[in-house]
Amino acid sequence: MILTSEQELFRASLAGFLSQKLPLAALRTLRSLPLETAYDKGTWRQLAALGVTSMTVPATLGGAEFGWLGMGAVAQEMGRRLSATPLLSSVVLAQGALIQCASPAQIDRYLPALLNGDEVWTVAFEERAHFAPDCVLTTMTARGLKGGKCMVLDGAAADRVLISARKQSGDFGLFLVDAQAPGITQTPARLMDGRQYVTFEFADVPESSGQWLAGGSAERDWAQVLNNATVILAAEMLGSARELCERTVEYLKEREQFDAKIGSFQALQHRAAHMYTELELSQAAVDAALVSFDSGQGDQYALVSAAKALANDCFQLISDEAVQMHGGMGVTDELDIGLFLKRSRVCNRLLGDAHWHRLRYAERLGF
Amino acid sequence: MNESDTQDSFRREVKSWLEANCPLSQRQPIVQREQIWGGRRRHFYSNDARLWFEAARDRGFTAPQWPVAYGGGGLSFEEARILREEMQAMGCRPPLYDQGLWMLGPALLAFGTEAQKQQHLPAICRGEVRWAQGYSEPAAGSDLANLQTKAEGEGDSFTVNGTKIWTTKADDADWIFCLVRTDDSGPKQQGISFLLIDLASPGVSIAPIPLISGDSDFCQTFFDDVRVPKENLVGELHGGWAVAKEVLRHERQLMASFESMAEKPKADIVELANQHLDIQASGAISNANIRSRLATYLMRDSAVKQLGERIARQHEVQAGDPALPLLMKYLSTREVQQKNEIILEILGAQGLSLNASDNSELYDSRVKQWAFDKTLTIAGGTSEIQLNIIAKRALGLPSGRSS
Repeated sequence: MILTSEQELFRASLAGFLSQKLPLAALRTLRSLPLETAYDKGTWRQLAALGVTSMTVPATLGGAEFGWLGMGAVAQEMGRRLSATPLLSSVVLAQGALIQCASPAQIDRYLPALLNGDEVWTVAFEERAHFAPDCVLTTMTARGLKGGKCMVLDGAAADRVLISARKQSGDFGLFLVDAQAPGITQTPARLMDGRQYVTFEFADVPESSGQWLAGGSAERDWAQVLNNATVILAAEMLGSARELCERTVEYLKEREQFDAKIGSFQALQHRAAHMYTELELSQAAVDAALVSFDSGQGDQYALVSAAKALANDCFQLISDEAVQMHGGMGVTDELDIGLFLKRSRVCNRLLGDAHWHRLRYAERLGF
Repeated sequence: MNESDTQDSFRREVKSWLEANCPLSQRQPIVQREQIWGGRRRHFYSNDARLWFEAARDRGFTAPQWPVAYGGGGLSFEEARILREEMQAMGCRPPLYDQGLWMLGPALLAFGTEAQKQQHLPAICRGEVRWAQGYSEPAAGSDLANLQTKAEGEGDSFTVNGTKIWTTKADDADWIFCLVRTDDSGPKQQGISFLLIDLASPGVSIAPIPLISGDSDFCQTFFDDVRVPKENLVGELHGGWAVAKEVLRHERQLMASFESMAEKPKADIVELANQHLDIQASGAISNANIRSRLATYLMRDSAVKQLGERIARQHEVQAGDPALPLLMKYLSTREVQQKNEIILEILGAQGLSLNASDNSELYDSRVKQWAFDKTLTIAGGTSEIQLNIIAKRALGLPSGRSS
């Protein structure tokens, strides 16, 4: 990642903050807390004050205009420490949807509280076990919203929820509602990586209890938000993969068997070197997608799918190799390696697995 | 990217020069038989090819970054990049192919004497002499330092005995640059010297090696009491390993860029799939396995190019991660082979004959290309050697007993 000197300065100071406030130990604490706890809200307010909520927001809306490369660097640092924050759910997805899909009046009304961290939101857009953003069965009827959503990230901590749904007209829209609105049933749960999600059921949630985001073309603009979120997730994944690759290489230099450092064995050297080449290759793909968001050039759908598919393959490979190369210790809960392994499988599935993105890429390129 | 006014005016100058001097026929994708190689067997496939070669030669563009005094173009790194970009944008063919140009020249510029530079560099730029590389031996492949070809000093000349293998097109070459053993008393890498040998010398014999592609791109070259003047020693006596490493560095860059030298648009492989496979009404390839692997290949191929660009940009600002260039040969050669495998599957029964002539990128048939490209992960240091180097230099893993 080639950052500007300002972005680099920001990345370094954020890294310092995260190491202090949200190290891996914080994730261990989180996973033993009640199912409703998604992240530490106090720390999130401090992160908002540092500027992580305003990175990609235009200056005209009170943002920092730090660019998607800068946002990618933030996600990467969080990935290195598996920091549990609502960066993806509240900032990239919900706040992104507000900015892309809402009317100017709605943006004025709601954006400030998101930027300063007073409110956190999430988006409920998944209805199936496999990522299928085009499948939207949740529908607004005359009596209210009917349907359900699964895998709503950080849902239990969200003050408001954006729900992808069909309007009474049949058009696609994003319905903004208070998470406690009548007719909404939430079932909180925890993923194997320690992160929080909820399943929603909607039984006649009155249309009057919320509002539709009323910007331009909701369907197209929401697709843009999903693209952005996919690449930020990929950047976070590569941060985790890089951390894991470095930890594994360090272990190969320390661990001795047969009176030698195991890192001197060629069989392991080649696998470690291969991991590293895959990491840098995937990084190039993710960077290219981030750059295309900033420049507005290139086929973003193709670049996004390449970034996520490569990040998935890479994180899968490196997390498997990290466990294997740490030997018996790799499968103990005492070591952090397993936390990364579990996170990798969650991330690989979120926002489209490698196969989903290969197919979309093929479609995009006309084959 | 912002370019200075000077760069901008250089770009305009280069563009109009190319427009005026590169015939339209020389802006078509190159095929192997139309490549212009230097030396005594030099021939031009067409008059346009000759015109393009002569124009580039006279402007110094066969070796853009070499000093003008030695026949080069005297361009800076930046200017050479601009020239390369403009040539690629216009589809201009490389005006000259030669291992002297790619590998020996850079080593002579770094290690050669003034007399050596004057004798050899202009002849390379003008395409008058074609060079072969004499590194590997039957018992010295990946373990290159194990080489046994001997050069013994007697008065003002060396006497060379031994054999070199995988000498690319030595049967068409005029000279060969060789690694020879001048001392076997110490560690293997310390008794090696770098010699330039005229292939017309008495005692040299050359046998082409038939390959799986059906062609003979490589030869075995034998030296039987060949006398070589001492002024043909490059670098220090016994100090040839340093020169060899410089050549290898350029060779690996070359291998990594092998495909882009004659690159056809990426759409090519998709077009091929559309011609040969069942396609659904949606436009999707029916064979889900090929479709998925083709997507994977194209994604990874783009990422390899993006990584290459990042390395080039980092090189410019001098903030480069020195480990990154090591990855390129390993990654890019794998992807070329992956592409060839997919192409063969796409062609089905038509991908099983070596003689089909379908004007592929470098070779007369895609099947020959597939067979020949098996060399890419072997020549210039095998992929396994690349991984050894990455493990040690980029990851800092300790040396082991077996590597």
